[in-house]
Amino acid sequence: MNKITHLERLPELVGDGAVVAFGGGWFANHPMAAVRELVRARRTDIHGLALLGSVDVDLMVGAGVLRHLTFSMVTLEAMGLAQNFRRAVQAGELPITEIPALSLQVALEAGGQSVPFMPVRGPIGSDLVAQNPEVFGTARTSFGDEDVMVVKAIRPDVAIIHALRCDRLGNVQFDGTYSQDPELAAASDTVIVTCEEIVDSSEIAAQSHLTKIPGFLVDHVIEAPFGAHPCSHVPRYAQDAWEILEYQKAAMAGGDAYAAYVDRIRGETEAEYRERVLAGDRGRVLAALAEAGPTLQEA
Amino acid sequence: MAKYDVHEVMVCRIASEMTEEGDYVTILGSFTPLAYAAYMLAKLTHAPDAWLVGYNAIGMPPVELSFTGSEAAAYRGSLARNSFTPNGHLVHLGTHGLLECVSSAQMDGDGAINLSAIGDYDHPKVRLPGGAGAPEVVQNYRKVVAYFSKHDARTLCAKVDYATGRRTPISRDKREALGLVSGGPVTIVTPLAVLVKEDDERPFAIESVHPGVSVDEVVAATGFAVDVPADVPTTAEPTAEQIDLLRNRIDPLGTVRFDFLSGEERLAYLEEVLAKEWARAEELVRVTAPVG
Repeated sequence: MNKITHLERLPELVGDGAVVAFGGGWFANHPMAAVRELVRARRTDIHGLALLGSVDVDLMVGAGVLRHLTFSMVTLEAMGLAQNFRRAVQAGELPITEIPALSLQVALEAGGQSVPFMPVRGPIGSDLVAQNPEVFGTARTSFGDEDVMVVKAIRPDVAIIHALRCDRLGNVQFDGTYSQDPELAAASDTVIVTCEEIVDSSEIAAQSHLTKIPGFLVDHVIEAPFGAHPCSHVPRYAQDAWEILEYQKAAMAGGDAYAAYVDRIRGETEAEYRERVLAGDRGRVLAALAEAGPTLQEA
Repeated sequence: MAKYDVHEVMVCRIASEMTEEGDYVTILGSFTPLAYAAYMLAKLTHAPDAWLVGYNAIGMPPVELSFTGSEAAAYRGSLARNSFTPNGHLVHLGTHGLLECVSSAQMDGDGAINLSAIGDYDHPKVRLPGGAGAPEVVQNYRKVVAYFSKHDARTLCAKVDYATGRRTPISRDKREALGLVSGGPVTIVTPLAVLVKEDDERPFAIESVHPGVSVDEVVAATGFAVDVPADVPTTAEPTAEQIDLLRNRIDPLGTVRFDFLSGEERLAYLEEVLAKEWARAEELVRVTAPVG
């Protein structure tokens, strides 16, 4: 069995109108090479699901990839609000389903376990409960006469995840931050993994404690070095905050400046993107930062 | 007494909430420098064994605040690793959570926080980021601290436009009766004062005013009614040791200022900080590059 394919093929593996869960969280390990490929393919039909989205979601919104977004948060953190996300929702151009993060995680777990719903110690007191009757409900069991809060199972059509390494059978290893990626893989019908490197199964076996998603859950494997850039993929490379700042400047300017940012991505292959953004010392600097990691205890 | 800035008063007050007792755990959310600085300060001073979880690194050590170095340091120094979902189960839903720091666009006298939308939810004037796990966490952690970079009636308002989350009920006896996590009240820390609400039936009370701030100033700047005790103490000033740790070890790049800047000003400051991070990173490459 060989699940290996190429990044250029990824858009055709994602069906029209699919609900697609994107891995990663905050500025860590988002599947950015895959996101860029969907932008290059000029997709406009995807219902994205992002637990803790940042530049991944904002780029897809800005490039018109998403027709709907399910999320708990989209932010560029200390760099400011996610501008395209903010503008699109304010203009009524992006329908949203906002679900608090813990409840969204439990809904995905229910999906992964093929149960219709799960109880959750949920967000009592939040207006988001009444806002989302298709997500939050109550259930009464034979164990007692109290209603308990439940969330309905979510089963995305596709999960797209970026990992450290993977073999041809789809065994996925992480060594640093891996967000909620194993749970996304368990919940989704089709699982696409991009990774820093494809390795032989013997290398996976040599460090099997790093395998967080077993191959039987995975459908497609794609090699994409620096595939999380400009997000981090510890321990390979740190967040490229300098590139994210360039992104945020373009997003804040909007209009032609932002269109130029998107056009540049559309006008180059992923290999050309890597050559451009990692020019000079950038790639070595990001790798050295991820390697160094001095703490204040050692200082 | 060392000279200090008001954000340092805030950091030290928030840090005092973080303790080692009971092995309760604090999970770091998005990079909100002021809260991060408070956690690191507690770890380096009165609570070295307090549990911190950053990214998926459980038991992360104190790290210097930066855009490009903090994650790798947390990861290298951590004692265990998990993905978000088991961490959420263990800590948030497993009720092992200690201290939740939130910084919302609005908060009202009932303790509701708005991280969703200014204006009408369906047609917002400003769409905000969303609350991530805050709506569940404010219910399930022992302590909630809301901090704000400004203290005015737009931020601390009569009624939030949208309640993304709310700790309810707040009174300890009511929480215990409902089988909810007991523990601390909702505390607000601003550049002017510290407010606290322990009882659903009573408004927030002024716990302390910062040095040089009057009680009248605080009451006038707050958009909801506050209880004013007969005796309002002054918030503790940072010690020379705390100032030294914050400025020279925890946050030498000055990331804490981001919480107080917006728009163009924030971007300009960001360029400054990232230029410093680049210079340091290049030094790292030179040092670690193979010779010849």
